Amino acid sequence: MNLLPWIVVAWLMLAGLYGMITSGNIVHLIGCLSTVQSATYVLLLAAGYRHGAGAPIFYTHPPGTPAVDPVVQALVLTDIVIGGAVTALLLALALQLHKRRGSLKPDELRALHR
Amino acid sequence: MSATGRLGLFAFACLLLIPIVWQLVLAMPPFGAHPLPYADLINAAAPAERHVTNMVSAVNFDYRGIDTLGEETMLVCAVTGATVLLRGQRGEQLEAHPGQVENRPIPHRSEAMLLVGRLAAPLTVLFGAYVALHGMTTPGGGFQGGVIIASGLLLLFLAEDYRGWRRLMRSWLFDGLEGLGVALYALGGLAALPLGLPFLTNILPYGQPRNVFSGGLMIIENLAVALAVCGGFVVLLIEFLEETRVMSDGEQE
Amino acid sequence: MMLPLLPPLPVVMPLTIAALLLAFSHVLPRPVPDAVALFATVMAGGVCLAMLGPALHAPLVYWFGGWVPRHGFPIGIGFYVDPPSAAMGVFIAVLFTAALVFSWGYYDEVHAHFHVLMLLFLAGMIGFCLTHDLFDMFVWFEVISVAAYALTGYQLRVSALEGAINFTIVNSIGSYLFLAGIGLVYIRIGALDFSALEQGMRQATPDMVARGGFVLVATGLLIKAAQVPFHFWLSDAHAVAPSPVSVIFSGVMVALGMFGLAKLCWTVFLPAGELTQGVRHFLLGMGIVTVLLGGLMALSQRHLKRLLAFSTISHTGMLLIGLASFRPQGLAGLFVYLVGHGLVKGALFMISGILLATRGGIDELGLRGAGRPIWPAGLAMAAGGVLLAGLPFGLMGQGDDYISAPLRHSLGGIVPFAIVFGAACTAGAVLRAAGRIFLGLGPVAGEEERGPTDEEAEKADRPLWLMLWPAVILLLLSLIVPNGANAFLTGLVRDWLPPESANLTTGAPMLQKPPHDPAAWFGLPAALALAAFDLMRHRLPAWFVGMVDKMKNPLLRYLQAAHSGDVRDYVAWAAFGLATFAVVWNI
Repeated sequence: MNLLPWIVVAWLMLAGLYGMITSGNIVHLIGCLSTVQSATYVLLLAAGYRHGAGAPIFYTHPPGTPAVDPVVQALVLTDIVIGGAVTALLLALALQLHKRRGSLKPDELRALHR
Repeated sequence: MSATGRLGLFAFACLLLIPIVWQLVLAMPPFGAHPLPYADLINAAAPAERHVTNMVSAVNFDYRGIDTLGEETMLVCAVTGATVLLRGQRGEQLEAHPGQVENRPIPHRSEAMLLVGRLAAPLTVLFGAYVALHGMTTPGGGFQGGVIIASGLLLLFLAEDYRGWRRLMRSWLFDGLEGLGVALYALGGLAALPLGLPFLTNILPYGQPRNVFSGGLMIIENLAVALAVCGGFVVLLIEFLEETRVMSDGEQE
Repeated sequence: MMLPLLPPLPVVMPLTIAALLLAFSHVLPRPVPDAVALFATVMAGGVCLAMLGPALHAPLVYWFGGWVPRHGFPIGIGFYVDPPSAAMGVFIAVLFTAALVFSWGYYDEVHAHFHVLMLLFLAGMIGFCLTHDLFDMFVWFEVISVAAYALTGYQLRVSALEGAINFTIVNSIGSYLFLAGIGLVYIRIGALDFSALEQGMRQATPDMVARGGFVLVATGLLIKAAQVPFHFWLSDAHAVAPSPVSVIFSGVMVALGMFGLAKLCWTVFLPAGELTQGVRHFLLGMGIVTVLLGGLMALSQRHLKRLLAFSTISHTGMLLIGLASFRPQGLAGLFVYLVGHGLVKGALFMISGILLATRGGIDELGLRGAGRPIWPAGLAMAAGGVLLAGLPFGLMGQGDDYISAPLRHSLGGIVPFAIVFGAACTAGAVLRAAGRIFLGLGPVAGEEERGPTDEEAEKADRPLWLMLWPAVILLLLSLIVPNGANAFLTGLVRDWLPPESANLTTGAPMLQKPPHDPAAWFGLPAALALAAFDLMRHRLPAWFVGMVDKMKNPLLRYLQAAHSGDVRDYVAWAAFGLATFAVVWNI
């Protein structure tokens, strides 16, 4: 059980890369990029986990009760913004490309090039 | 490279990587039981020093506040970039009809949709404001609240359809909110400089713990993030939905 | 007095001004964004310059929010203004100033959005240089990257959109690897500040997790620094971005990846003993391959900006060679070469922008002889080409000497050869293009005349002098090597060296001025020969031309095929690069 989070991280990252390499559509490829990114969410959150501890919010529990790491949660929040920002930009690019080329399949895009 | 070549290269890479990754997994510190010195320091210090109960907000807006400024900057970059990419040479026409794909009729908007949308939108916006306001005490904060408010405004689109929605959502307003939000964050940080203190020094009274208005400067920074995020996401929604409208004569895509 | 307050200003000021520009973009009249952006850039550079002098005596340490470390443990984020970082800030501002002057009046369509993006781009770069926190470094690097992705696709042409997509996807993978590396380091050390990391690593060594973190962070930075086999995105992106943006991309953005890697290696990983001999040799080999491949590819391009992009790859490989020696001389060489190359390459991209604006094309063959009416630009281009050849004068030549001196005999003496080869290829390519465009040399027969490049042009209503003089100034700046250069460089590198190697008590300079590299003289003749071969091939004996073609064409065909423009290939190569790096480090 102790190894499971780290295995999930490696799995998400490699699965995302595999999806990107075999992808048949740019939009799908962008989704796979998000999969790679979710590996970092899992890694960071797992890094801050602590057995038997609560959320780092001392509203009902008094300060001093065991709590998980708030720093990595803040880092993940930033990470999420990055993911949203990059995905929005990529989708905007893909949309414009589709308008101009009529396709988002990498094979067809390449064929039109030659 | 052919698809097979690509896959072969990747398979070779995996062949090299997997044993190392496995070794790495075995070498990882025990899950849930390794020391977290930084976390302990913050969890111990922040409630007393800043009178807030949400440690994540304390990290975001105070201890590592400059990171959040960078994060908002990045959001502005992405939103501005998407605006440039989507708008292109196109102008703004608030009265235009939504675009129509051939042979795909625009379904008639049902009364139920109108009712649910008009009811749900203000409630969602209210909930977003609640989440944003209580960032210092309970889970939430400017970012989460800002996103919820933006999605509440999107619900109006379902109720009012494109034309009505666009009449409510002016891009100058949300560009302004976004820019002013980031500027407010930076100015809140700069306020300490004339006193000879470092950027982002918390010079306001901290208030009472478990009160909405606790945390001093963090309240302002929280508000700034809420404005910037709400503005940024609505601008994104406007630009993506603008794609649905019919081009008028003389406009280029 | 004022000095302790300065460090955040070069980041926060452009950023605030950009946010206000955005907020009021709907009401501002046209020249205001141009002027405001230029003003903010000059001010940011001025602040960095003001900090550079004091930093040479003692680095400025600045804790945001007043969070000074508690019992020696950093609790907030620090900016650490050491001489190299402050100097980088000045250099970045100089390049941005030139690019903004070059693009004055060019972007007025969409509400100052170009200027907002440029200012945020600038703020991100300076933040990246000054920060002393691993995650903060990542945040600023993402600001740089996202601004760059948006600017690449700015012109909305098909090639620009495709280039931007490839750029975004490959670099995002780099970002996520970087972040995963941060996660591993954080799990092991429990801190993010550089000094705390270095101390923590010293205690934890040898440790699989910390080293795994290093590999991921380094791979992320190598992707951003476009080293083989992570380089594919660069030529796609730099070739299609608007010219003033390409100036920044090639001049400093790519090199920043290398700067960050050098900073981390020297101040965190090297003192912690994480860099084994194998890793050093791997990095050195990667740099050499990058120099060679970039040079060869540059020589075989006809799209002028793509040619310059490949030459950027080659020259960034030089920076990695300077880093991989892990000697003070190599580090000094990296700084000098980075600045010299940035100035020259910035000027060359401006000249390609001038061709786009005034001649309406960028294809070398299509423009043959078209440059005659704007001959001053041709002179500048030829001068840039000569400077790329690595003659032992000017900043690039100096950097060459510093980089190659500690490596004359490693790896069987291949390094000086590789350096001359790369310099000759890139310079030869630029000189060939200059000869063809501005002198009308090198007629091309038949079908080749029609290039595969799509129609490109940039707005043409700006006067030639406005676009040319920033280029000329950059070229002149790259020629200046002041007398006290070696002492200044000593001051620059001293702060990054591990304490045991610094000789601070006696004050004696630790940095030896290297002798001129005699091999450097071969760069220009070789470049001229390469250029002449292409331009004069119709006059050369047929058997000779045929023989050379038979030798080089198969190789070039393979290389061209590898640079397919298909982002899935690039991802596969990146995975392959990561895997080999991981293997080398594990052995």
